[in-house]
Amino acid sequence: MTESPAHRAGPDESADLLEVEGLTVTFPTTRGPVDVVRDNTFTLRNNETLGIVGESGSGKSMTALAVMGLLPRGARTSGSIRFRGTELLGRPDAELRRLRGNAMSMVFQDPLSSLNPYYTVGLQIAEVYRCHRGGSRRAARRMAIDALGRVGIPDPAERVDRYPHQFSGGQRQRIMIAMALICEPALLIADEPTTALDVTVQSQILELLAELKRQTGTGMLFITHDLAVIATIAQRVLVMRDGEQLEYADTERVFSAPRHPYTRMLLESIPRIDDELAAPGVVSPTARPARPTDPAPAQEEVR
Amino acid sequence: MTGSRGSQADAPPLLRARDLTKRFTTRGGGGPLGRKSVFTAVDSVSFEVFPHETLALVGESGSGKSTTARLVAKLMEATDGTIEFAGRDVTHARGTDLARFRNDVQVVFQDPFSSLNPRHTVERILTAPLVYQGLPIPGGRRAFAGELMERVGLNPDHLHRYPAQFSGGQAQRIGIARALAVGPKLVICDEAVSALDVSVQAQVMDLLLRLQRESGFSYLFIAHDLAVVRRISHRIAVMKQGVIVESGPCAEVFERPRDPYTRTLLAAIPRIDPEWDRRRREGAAEHASITASPEELP
Repeated sequence: MTESPAHRAGPDESADLLEVEGLTVTFPTTRGPVDVVRDNTFTLRNNETLGIVGESGSGKSMTALAVMGLLPRGARTSGSIRFRGTELLGRPDAELRRLRGNAMSMVFQDPLSSLNPYYTVGLQIAEVYRCHRGGSRRAARRMAIDALGRVGIPDPAERVDRYPHQFSGGQRQRIMIAMALICEPALLIADEPTTALDVTVQSQILELLAELKRQTGTGMLFITHDLAVIATIAQRVLVMRDGEQLEYADTERVFSAPRHPYTRMLLESIPRIDDELAAPGVVSPTARPARPTDPAPAQEEVR
Repeated sequence: MTGSRGSQADAPPLLRARDLTKRFTTRGGGGPLGRKSVFTAVDSVSFEVFPHETLALVGESGSGKSTTARLVAKLMEATDGTIEFAGRDVTHARGTDLARFRNDVQVVFQDPFSSLNPRHTVERILTAPLVYQGLPIPGGRRAFAGELMERVGLNPDHLHRYPAQFSGGQAQRIGIARALAVGPKLVICDEAVSALDVSVQAQVMDLLLRLQRESGFSYLFIAHDLAVVRRISHRIAVMKQGVIVESGPCAEVFERPRDPYTRTLLAAIPRIDPEWDRRRREGAAEHASITASPEELP
């Protein structure tokens, strides 16, 4: 934690949608307990996108799962997660289930493994709606068609009866987004939603998310390893490494004046298409002379 | 930057692919009785790779770039077209000819863990290319593998470890070391850095560049990420739906893309505000003296 706590409290306390304070997630392993998230503190305001960025093992996804109450079995959490002023940690699962998909929802990286291959997409979207809002099948189906249209699936009235495999990867992610937004949640958590997609499809999905957020005012927690994606979508950025928060500030500040050496190194590492052309054979400033390395980090079994 | 190569004018190409075509027969719905259909994954693709050069083959999923790599590596038989390597037609090479070809052309795959045998030690993995070909191991197994480890920036004392004991970046370095074992003239990298974290990716790319400077082999670099490709290649070929839509020197493709698809690809890359970047660089210059670098290699 190198940041001053100054940014931690938003200027307007009442506008805070999500307040996470001192969140620690611990997994028991054969070598004793391991903190995968340590003392993470941040807030998300209404209508804001907060980007959580980090490399693999940084704890960014575990932070998201902790907020959703979806941590793997055996994980222990401490600290506080307040959603619209209500503490979520320690609440019974049934209560969390009423929130999930309703007031808060999540989009995952791989849409194909998140959709059930045996049911039509319409049925799956409608199920979320009926589960939280009730109503007739027919009304829910209309809602599903409407939702598919809003996320840009062409000919939604006809395609609502198709199965997940009949859609392209980008369209499946659109379907996941439609499902996540069907109950108009106050909080949307997107965990690497564009990582598995081609770059042209990624730009379409990012535009769609930004547009839907403008329309609905949903607060978004956007988790990614890709700093360039964060730069285009988030108002504020939180940088994580090894479960620790290293930097937390406005996007512009993090990108124009990174304070932590790790953030600087990450920004230097991004392959670019717009800087002065580095000819092949020119070693980047991040390069260090090759030398024998330390032993590989021990593989901890946390899953 | 391509001007400095000078190789294209005088040297004959190391690899020449002419009208390479790969068709797959698939069955649509209807199970075994369903109607067959033919899918052309690679459609009359022609390109050349010159000595000491890196040619990047870029495209999105389904563009046929990986199939092309497999055809050129002779891991798959082409439906049509010819492959020439160092002036010899290797399209239908068998036996000794194929073994010689495999000595000259090596592949580094995307996922290091699935391309390294989990039950073999690093020493065994690194010497396997020679053992399979019945070649003598210069200097003995241990010394030979240890030297390869050092070349790719790994600790030679870890020769008796297994792939799972390494991080993703380290495992990819092992994959690269194995490709170098036979002293290849052409290394095909099939999305070799795509699965790596960005900081590790930068280091592995630096390694690939350094090895090429040291040993002078050529790369056929397959990637979906134009930004990655820009740092490493001399020439670029952009593929879409089995066809090369544009090819040219790296700088030209980035600065003056001719094909609309290339322009779409370039426009889709998320960008960081150049003004933020400028300020960061200015700040970094001030910090330069006190900046510490992270300690360990991947």
